Amino acid sequence: MKDKAIIFDSGSLISLSMAGLFDELVGLKKIFKGKFLITKEIKGEIIDKPMNIKKFELEAIRLKELLDVGILEMPSSLKIDDKEITRRTYEILQIANTTFKGRDRDIHLIDLGESSGLALSQILTEQGMTNVLAVDERTTRMLCEKPENLRKLMEGKLHTSIIAKKENYKYFENFQFIRSTELMYVAYKKGLVESKDPKLLDALLYALKFKGAAISDEEISEIKRMG
Amino acid sequence: MEERENLIRILSESRQAIKDHDLVKLKELSNQTVHSASIASDTDSILVAVIIYSLGKIIERTTEYGSKECGSICKFSITELQKAESALNKNDEATFKESLESIMVFVGKSSPDLKKDVQDILRKASVNKAAKIYEHGISMEQTAKLLGISMYELASYAGQKGSANVPLAKTQSVKDRVNLAMEMFK
Repeated sequence: MKDKAIIFDSGSLISLSMAGLFDELVGLKKIFKGKFLITKEIKGEIIDKPMNIKKFELEAIRLKELLDVGILEMPSSLKIDDKEITRRTYEILQIANTTFKGRDRDIHLIDLGESSGLALSQILTEQGMTNVLAVDERTTRMLCEKPENLRKLMEGKLHTSIIAKKENYKYFENFQFIRSTELMYVAYKKGLVESKDPKLLDALLYALKFKGAAISDEEISEIKRMG
Repeated sequence: MEERENLIRILSESRQAIKDHDLVKLKELSNQTVHSASIASDTDSILVAVIIYSLGKIIERTTEYGSKECGSICKFSITELQKAESALNKNDEATFKESLESIMVFVGKSSPDLKKDVQDILRKASVNKAAKIYEHGISMEQTAKLLGISMYELASYAGQKGSANVPLAKTQSVKDRVNLAMEMFK
């Protein structure tokens, strides 16, 4: 069994797709000693649904081709049972969506695709496989990495007190996240992006930011300083 | 209960904003429903948000700059918003939805030029409201599902809104995250 995996959320593949960076993703896969995985719920969001929307049909076809040629793979390629992912997905959904309360109601924070990625990560970790989640949207990442920040953000935006079930926080502690921006930084450092333009890194990071990767201007500056 | 009272107030103030031709106020009222939509995943709030926002855009397009005269679209909208408000007071969900949806049907019928644009305006209003809900801390997938839009649409629109520039959104050092990515490729 290969010993590493990157689990892609819908958002990270959408950012890469809309920024036209699939060649770079393919390049990364060639040097990666492991698998690029998506769950069936994520496949539904990025391939099956948009296949019926004219505006995004082309993106869906290109992503399907990545799946067909094995750049992206399903968990079954690791003999992981979809039923087990689904069972855990619902467990995670239930915990995540009862972690914060506003005006006496549980706040529905995340949905099936996002929690299925977390479920798969949990299973791989238990099997001893090193894995990270490539997630571009900020809510799932904040819930796992700094749930108190998410509570404060919602409290500020919603102008109402948000009560947290803090005992749930520990459930989300052990996930590791990167974004499409860090992936493209790796591609840049490994010479997988065909351009010698001095502004290339800036252009890559901003292209992804404007296509939905939740990264701040300040974070982009920091990455650029790393060179 | 609290959501319903809030919506009744918003519908009432929207009627006044249309009478006053106050498009800024309409936009502001539409945004106010986003709080309820975010906390309660409340589809009624979402419908009001999308219709009020779209109405603002349509009135902007159909009236001459500086004119206080909005014509049949405004008159029809005021009547239907009143009906929607009364329906909410009576817990009559079906009439509430019918009244709001009839506004966009009327717009399409009353102006052949606008007919083809109505779907587009509603779509853009949905994406705009979705981006607001995402800014409020609800995940991208959940928000797209609530508004019935694709994640592709939401991602590219939200990406231009700068929600990631909020300091609270930084949850790990840049160096640690980059190192984690580099480590995976060793």
